[in-house]
Amino acid sequence: MALRQIYHLETGLRPSSSSSLVGIPVLNPGRLRFKPSPALPLARPRSELGGSEEQGKAEKGDGDAKKGRRKEGVTLDDVNPVGLGRRSRQIFDEVWRKFSGLGQISRSLTDDDDGLLLIRGPMCEFTVPEAQDTTVLVVGATSRIGRIVVRKLMLRGYKVKALVRKADPEVIDMLPRSVSIVVGDVGEPSTLRAAVQGCNKIIYCATARSAITGDLNRVDYQGVCNVTKAFQDYNNQLAQLRAGKSSKSKLLLAKFKSAESLEGWEVRKGTYFQDVVAAKYDGGMDAKFEFTETGDAVFSGYVFTRGGYVELSKKFSLPLGSTLDRYDGLLLSVGGNGKSYILILETGPLADTSQSKLYFARINTKVGFCRVRVPFSSFRPVKPDDPPLDPFLVHTLTIRFEPRRQKLVEAPGANKQDPRSFKLIMEYIKALPAGIETDFILVSCTGSGIESSRRDQVLKAKKAGEDALRRSGLGYTIIRPGPLQEEPGGQRALIFDQGNRISQGISCADVADICVKALHDSTARNKSFDVCYEYVAEQGNELYELVAHLPDKANNYLTPALSVLEKNT
Amino acid sequence: MASRLGSLPPQLASTSLHHHRHHLRPPQCSGQASLSWRRAVAPAQLELISVSTSPGKIPKPFSTTAVATSLSQGTPVRPTSILVVGATGTLGRQVVRRALDEGYDVRCLVRPRPAPADFLRDWGATVVNGDLSKPETIPATLVGVHTVIDCATGRPEEPIGTVDWEGKVALIQCAKAMGIQKYVFYSIHNCDKHPEVPLMEIKHCTEKFLQDSGLNYLIIRLCGFMQGLIGQYAVPILEEKSVWGTDAPTRIAYMDTQDVSRLTFIAMRNEKINKELLTFAGPRAWTTQEVITLCERLAGQDANVTTVPVSILKFTRQLTRLFQWTNDVADRLAFSEVLSSDIVFSVPMAETYNLLGVDQKDIVTLERYLQDYFTNILKKLKDLKAQSKQTDIFL
Repeated sequence: MALRQIYHLETGLRPSSSSSLVGIPVLNPGRLRFKPSPALPLARPRSELGGSEEQGKAEKGDGDAKKGRRKEGVTLDDVNPVGLGRRSRQIFDEVWRKFSGLGQISRSLTDDDDGLLLIRGPMCEFTVPEAQDTTVLVVGATSRIGRIVVRKLMLRGYKVKALVRKADPEVIDMLPRSVSIVVGDVGEPSTLRAAVQGCNKIIYCATARSAITGDLNRVDYQGVCNVTKAFQDYNNQLAQLRAGKSSKSKLLLAKFKSAESLEGWEVRKGTYFQDVVAAKYDGGMDAKFEFTETGDAVFSGYVFTRGGYVELSKKFSLPLGSTLDRYDGLLLSVGGNGKSYILILETGPLADTSQSKLYFARINTKVGFCRVRVPFSSFRPVKPDDPPLDPFLVHTLTIRFEPRRQKLVEAPGANKQDPRSFKLIMEYIKALPAGIETDFILVSCTGSGIESSRRDQVLKAKKAGEDALRRSGLGYTIIRPGPLQEEPGGQRALIFDQGNRISQGISCADVADICVKALHDSTARNKSFDVCYEYVAEQGNELYELVAHLPDKANNYLTPALSVLEKNT
Repeated sequence: MASRLGSLPPQLASTSLHHHRHHLRPPQCSGQASLSWRRAVAPAQLELISVSTSPGKIPKPFSTTAVATSLSQGTPVRPTSILVVGATGTLGRQVVRRALDEGYDVRCLVRPRPAPADFLRDWGATVVNGDLSKPETIPATLVGVHTVIDCATGRPEEPIGTVDWEGKVALIQCAKAMGIQKYVFYSIHNCDKHPEVPLMEIKHCTEKFLQDSGLNYLIIRLCGFMQGLIGQYAVPILEEKSVWGTDAPTRIAYMDTQDVSRLTFIAMRNEKINKELLTFAGPRAWTTQEVITLCERLAGQDANVTTVPVSILKFTRQLTRLFQWTNDVADRLAFSEVLSSDIVFSVPMAETYNLLGVDQKDIVTLERYLQDYFTNILKKLKDLKAQSKQTDIFL
């Protein structure tokens, strides 16, 4: 008795209610469950507990049947012959069910016997812990890959939205019933707003139905543009709603909109050589940072000295509570006229700059205004022995111009620019929020297996779509599968590679599996890769070996496969 | 073709019914059983021949295969399209789930019922209504199907012959006639050794019928499912109800149905494994008492075990056999005959693992399975307790 009471103290539940809440099988209640009555010991007030020790022991030994009988005579209701008869029948049924159950080897379970725990809960091999809080929009849910993606997502417990062009009965029949269907067209930006509402991630596996250029452009390029744009708009809207506190909002480091905003920025000059003699004979250097009458902040000047440079630098004053380690990289909006610059980050204790470590990254600008994304991972230490950059410690940002290694850019007026002078118009510098996971998975193609007459057009559209996605600022994963095959997945080893070297096909199901696995895999963020079946070389013809990965239940093949691939390619 | 198919079902129905009358008279010796299924096959083949020769060909002894090929040529089917029969069952639902995850297009044959199997549709399977006990509903469900996976077993409350024998015969004949490429059938381990148990006898007869049908088949014999133990032992222990067990020394090598379905698909796709009979068993064979002890240990509480001697079960079976109206009950108790022997329901699996290329480490053991279950369920109960702390503090 003591044991049972403790159990219920722990759980805080009656046996009957526990089963219905947790989803343990509740068989037909009328047939086999006793209704909890005041006479049952479980509902007894605490004061009685001590004295009921002996009673409890006896009862424990006797089992359920006796418990039922003990209720007799407690209230008038219980002696009602009809009630008695019904109850004794329940008892008999229960006993008989158990008894006859013993004589069987295979038991067929009733519908709810497996319960939540086994079908959707942690006991199911497919369940993904993050799935419950994630809504995925599948664009192209009725395509060969999309169909399987939707099913896989449903099995894993995701909330799924499917974008379809028309809500035809046969389309709806094709999709699982709890998928929420949004009618829209990737070619029509206005129809996408509702589709991205409430979504955390997007899997784009729509392809053009024909190789007509207009179709290709509409789906493979414009479609990706429109969906990324709608998704970014939605994210920005969330960021605004949360007043910049959202994890999606960028951190403003500097905005050059007034003369005051230039305060704190220092212009410095220097040379790489301590060669005083040489400096005497060349033209020297000069630079200034000023706010022009047209409202631009301009950093301009010239460097004629061999090995000389000029730089613009500022110590950060970050808002309280925000540190750069939660960010992924820098975003600069500048007009650099095609010159290249070097960004330098200084880390270390503020008080003692002699201990500072310097990290640099080279950026290229375009003619006119452009936005440059520089991930922190692309910064290299100036001294090769220093540890990799830790964004948390960064305190100073420097933009350096040097005439070395400048590309000669053909300016629009065909007059050659002097590589030694520069003019950099600055608009803002922001820190890009770090994302751990990918936001947008695009299924593209490798181009093999397409009839050669249309291959270029198809690839052009796909490439344009990929580029649009990369520029969008979303965390992306671009999968380029080999020619698709209608085969069950998980059969053959897969090869992940970058750089157009693959030759084999791949099953739709494997591509779908990669999509679903990539959703929560940090190594998949901001990567593009080709994937196909392992190439089985004929004896003696082995050219090179790629690491192959066999998809399986037990191993997560994706992480090791992707971690060796390069980001931002 | 439609008219041919249309003419099939009634004939199939009549042959199987005709057969049934002779068949289900427990206990039969195996010799009689084999005779009786042969009698069933013969008329069925005749029917098929007459169907195939309707355009005016001369009947040939092997024209059944001709029918099958001509039909299958007419409609090229994708190898990823499968039909799962018995998809709502313990094993069936795992088979469906695994198939969907591996990229198959799954069609489920489900009996029409008031509360439809929503979870199958939610996962993305196509549900078609049909009933094995009504053979005329079968052919339509097989159109465009490459492989049939048959995990159906009759429910305990219905007469054992309806689904398990008549339905299966009709299904197999139909599959043959419609050129199904592969037929996967789940049977019971040792079913050939216990003809006195109706379910096992039927399974054995179905195996033989399938082997002689000319279909490409795969028969998988199973021992016991871990999932069944949850409802039988784990839940009663947690709910502090009495657990009923026998003192039988029989050992069963329980297996996780998720593993069964995984291995099934590996075997099914293997070109080398054709027209074969495989037996799947779990890593270790357990007696009832051992399972209960394990559950008690993992749940951290004692169980009220009511042990029923096997002799009582046997006696009850004898008693119920005396009356016609309790014959079904007797059939259901028939396993007591098997239980009373100290048979081990298990087979060494090393060779099978080798054949399928599966690592034994990936097969779930009962200890791990139940451990998982209890960890999860106790955690869930704890969460609920945390939620309901304020209101239920008294309890």
